[in-house]
Amino acid sequence: MVIRVSHLHKSFRVHRREAGWLEAVRSLWRRDYRIVEAVKDVSFTIEKGEIVGFLGPNGAGKTTTMKMLAGLLHPTSGEITVGGFVPFEQKAEFKKMMSLVMGQKSQLIWDIPPMETFLVNKAIYDIDDRSFRQTLEELTELLDLAPLLDKPTRSLSLGQRMRCELAAALLHRPQVLFLDEPTIGLDVHTQENVRRFIVDYNREHETTILLTSHYMGDVAALCDRVMIINYGRLIYDGELSVLTEKLAPYKRLEVRFSRLPNISWDEYGEVAEMEEGTVVLRVARETAAGTAARLLERFDVRDINIEDPPLEEVITRAFQEGVYGS
Amino acid sequence: MVRKYIALLRMKYIEMLAYRLATFVWMTGAITQPLITMFVWMNIHPEESESFLFYFMAVIFVERMTSAWDVWELDREIREGTFSNLLLRPLHPIHWAIAENIVYKWLFLVILVPVWMVGAVYWPALRPHMTGSQIGWFLGAVVLGAALRFLLSYSCGLLAFWVTKVAAVYGVIDVISLFLSGRIAPLEMLPPQLREWSEWLPFRYMISFPIEIATGAVRAEELVRGFAIAAGWLFVLAAVLQWLWKAGMKKNQAVGG
Repeated sequence: MVIRVSHLHKSFRVHRREAGWLEAVRSLWRRDYRIVEAVKDVSFTIEKGEIVGFLGPNGAGKTTTMKMLAGLLHPTSGEITVGGFVPFEQKAEFKKMMSLVMGQKSQLIWDIPPMETFLVNKAIYDIDDRSFRQTLEELTELLDLAPLLDKPTRSLSLGQRMRCELAAALLHRPQVLFLDEPTIGLDVHTQENVRRFIVDYNREHETTILLTSHYMGDVAALCDRVMIINYGRLIYDGELSVLTEKLAPYKRLEVRFSRLPNISWDEYGEVAEMEEGTVVLRVARETAAGTAARLLERFDVRDINIEDPPLEEVITRAFQEGVYGS
Repeated sequence: MVRKYIALLRMKYIEMLAYRLATFVWMTGAITQPLITMFVWMNIHPEESESFLFYFMAVIFVERMTSAWDVWELDREIREGTFSNLLLRPLHPIHWAIAENIVYKWLFLVILVPVWMVGAVYWPALRPHMTGSQIGWFLGAVVLGAALRFLLSYSCGLLAFWVTKVAAVYGVIDVISLFLSGRIAPLEMLPPQLREWSEWLPFRYMISFPIEIATGAVRAEELVRGFAIAAGWLFVLAAVLQWLWKAGMKKNQAVGG
């Protein structure tokens, strides 16, 4: 077990001020505070080599939890161990076995080329010449960094910078990787590349990865297991496929006909969409195969497709309704 | 540690080159205030022009060699959340600041020493009359002054964990130090009561003390006492910094992301 979190809490004291200038004057000598509980009683464990998706709407507590895991924030109560270390003690050995990549915060030094950051990291993380060369070579190839290394970081595009960001975070071969929105703002093609890189890297090095993302594509491509957090509470922890079954007990049946039959579809399922020649039906999970067989038997079907509902739909439902139907 | 410092110094040097113009403006900008102050004093006491010339040339040199801008850096880094990037690495962030100080002060040294030497050719008043041991004490006092200003500035910067825009706090301290460190006028011109205080406060040891050594105003027994007081403040400020660091880490909100 690489990561163990039990009964984790984090609350912040936040200064509250009403709008308006009279209030602004008042708040000069009287400050109202309120306690915001960002993370409430969160417990989970993650095994070596797992990729876990950490999902939740904005402000749900994902990043706060991740910052506690990386040792940046002091938990209000509860216990965390990562690779046997207590993160907020900030031991050098701990920092050498993990990395945190924040999509919105750059660790690359802004006005000089990425290679300079890499060299600083080489010295700070005590990476010897040989492994540095090897790792850099591997990362340069996987992430196609060669043309980027000697350009000032500020002149790189977002996607180019993200690739360098990942390289900087992986030079010391961390065993645990925290990725906070690693694909934010990237175009579809670059997102795809970053995902493929993460999967390959995880397979190759058995790196334990915890990832947050708003792009369901990331989650579907990378994670078998997801944890969903909302209002600071962990509301689901388990396999992605189980979540889908639980929240979306139906399949999408997309049927393309040579000629769309003019019938009532009620006996087959609920019509979700209908276009010329094509019908999309929502069919109960258990009966999906049978319904498809009947359709094939009775009509002139050119193509038929059975799939799970889109992940966005499932996750949105999880956020809104909770997972256990509460 | 040596390897880490070499890497940091190299990186800070390259970064400095990327900011050539800013560095130059910053360097010359800092010279303006002592120069103007010097002309004012020369106007008031024309008969002492020569000693003012030497004194303020020394102020320019010592002020640059001991200057500390860490409070502004920390204020920005902590407020904007970029400080997290330093915290995540297995090296205390203070080393980044120390490396930066060394690189910039090396540059100031490389520029100011030739300027002083050329000046001394034309104005005899600028020629220092120092013995070998005096030079040694002078350099030691400059390094000590740099350490004191650095510790003060970095400690103030750490207050950013509690208050936003902490540079304002440092602004107040800086105004006090303007008078008590000898940047506005030689300390011997202060009223006796202030002079007495200045001996016990850390500000004198940031700028005035090395200059007093260079001009020969400090006698042997005062020299030892001065170094002792400065060393005392060094320990106090280092302890304060360490305490602020520990408390700040608990308070840290690691904003942004």
